[in-house]
Amino acid sequence: MSEPKTNPSGLIFFLQIFSISLIWIMVVSVITWILNLISLSRYLHDAQNATLIISLVVLPIFTLLAGILTYVFIGIRKARPHD
Amino acid sequence: MDALRKDPDYTLYRPILESDRRFYWAIGFLGAVVVWAIVMYIRQLVYGLGVTGLNRTVTWGFYIINFVFFIGVSHAGTLISAILRLSQAEWRRPITRMAEVITAIVLAIGGLHPIIDLGRPDRVLNVFFYGRLQSPLLWDVTAISLYFTASTVYLYVPLIPDIALLRDHTTKFKKLYTWLSWGYVGTERQKHVLERAMSILMVVVIPVAVSVHTVISYIFSMTLQSGWHSTIFGPYFVTGAIFSGTATLLVVMIFFRKFYHLENYLKEIHFQYLSVLLLVFALLWGYFTFSEFLTGIYGNEPMEMRVIQFKFSGAYAPFFWMMVLLNFVIPVIILAFKKLKKIPGILVASFSVIIGMWLERLIIIVPSLSNPRLPVVSEPYIPSLTEWSLFAGGVAAFCMMFLLFSKVFPLISIWEIKDGRAEGLEAVKERLESYLPDTDVAGEGA
Repeated sequence: MSEPKTNPSGLIFFLQIFSISLIWIMVVSVITWILNLISLSRYLHDAQNATLIISLVVLPIFTLLAGILTYVFIGIRKARPHD
Repeated sequence: MDALRKDPDYTLYRPILESDRRFYWAIGFLGAVVVWAIVMYIRQLVYGLGVTGLNRTVTWGFYIINFVFFIGVSHAGTLISAILRLSQAEWRRPITRMAEVITAIVLAIGGLHPIIDLGRPDRVLNVFFYGRLQSPLLWDVTAISLYFTASTVYLYVPLIPDIALLRDHTTKFKKLYTWLSWGYVGTERQKHVLERAMSILMVVVIPVAVSVHTVISYIFSMTLQSGWHSTIFGPYFVTGAIFSGTATLLVVMIFFRKFYHLENYLKEIHFQYLSVLLLVFALLWGYFTFSEFLTGIYGNEPMEMRVIQFKFSGAYAPFFWMMVLLNFVIPVIILAFKKLKKIPGILVASFSVIIGMWLERLIIIVPSLSNPRLPVVSEPYIPSLTEWSLFAGGVAAFCMMFLLFSKVFPLISIWEIKDGRAEGLEAVKERLESYLPDTDVAGEGA
């Protein structure tokens, strides 16, 4: 069995970068959506406190999950032995 | 490849490397059911919700029953896996991956059901543009998206070392494995990164999982509808979810043990331990169901009593008593007696719970809607072929996706099994020694 190649080709490297970007695009989309809901609730005077509390719970968890995944991806890549 | 055949864990690679005609037959059959369900859904899109059995008062039928049921089943996975990992239960090693896969797949399927329930699915965009967080329906959207993200990450991160093994030892899906393994080779630093990430994920995923099913219960309990407005719905739903999830996990384990010859990994003891959990949850479910009806009957509120009588002795009585039989009587009888608590008995008990829990969702949703507070005439709810087809499609999609997953990734975590063999015994011994009192303390103190 030959030694594993850990240095990815161009396409795979692109896909990996794309994966990280996708995660953060998702997080930014969720943040934008929630901000839209907050502004809507303010405009309509509709359960503003509840909206804020739910947002304060949800947004950090989404960001934390994306952060963990980014940490794993970058951490593994950085710690790999070079071919 | 020859070197891999000598690996003691070759059985775990076999489903990926070797083809089995039964696998393709199963995929073909399940695919046909899914295609049939898609055709029926397109028909529903064209003709509207009139093709379903939904009517003026029963506006939530099969689709919402399935939604609650599937989301419930998803609890087994991540929750059981996270708790077992967190408590360092060594017997978890061959179980966690299957549990995590169930969660991710079932959540994806369950999450689609409210959209299927919309006559105009394009209107789901209104949730994003004009949503109001005042509504428990929007809490559901938020909670389920969060849980789906968390459980997918939680499935993927412990999968990385196995993907790296597949990248290095197989020729199939090479590019996919290289992409997803991120250059993992198992250096100390890489292991540390994974362990750190997993320990954070374990802690995050448990409250997220518990909160999701509590939030699901809120779409019922936040209304003043008879039979729904109950303060114990949160824990009742969480209990039911873990109950149905554990049963599903047991069925999946028994099936794949047989299908992929995993008897050496999924041993009798694993089923014994999980069936104890199933028994505990059967008793808990019985307790919550009793409490739920006791408070309703004691209050004797006329509308509440009408719904309760509708369940106990009315049109839904056969389903109600069948639910009690399947969720409580059968599993408790089978699992309480050592003689019956063998794998075939556990399979019967698990199937019984899965069907019983689906009936429970039916019993919660339909009778309340059939007895509205307003004086309007209610029609009986009879699900149409469209609803039955989409239900079958959902179950088939779950089985098909699970089978496809098993063709690309190992269903049992190879690296965790290897780690268990290499370090598990020593780690357990060390842990045990740290729990037990020191033997020479008396001498020191004297």
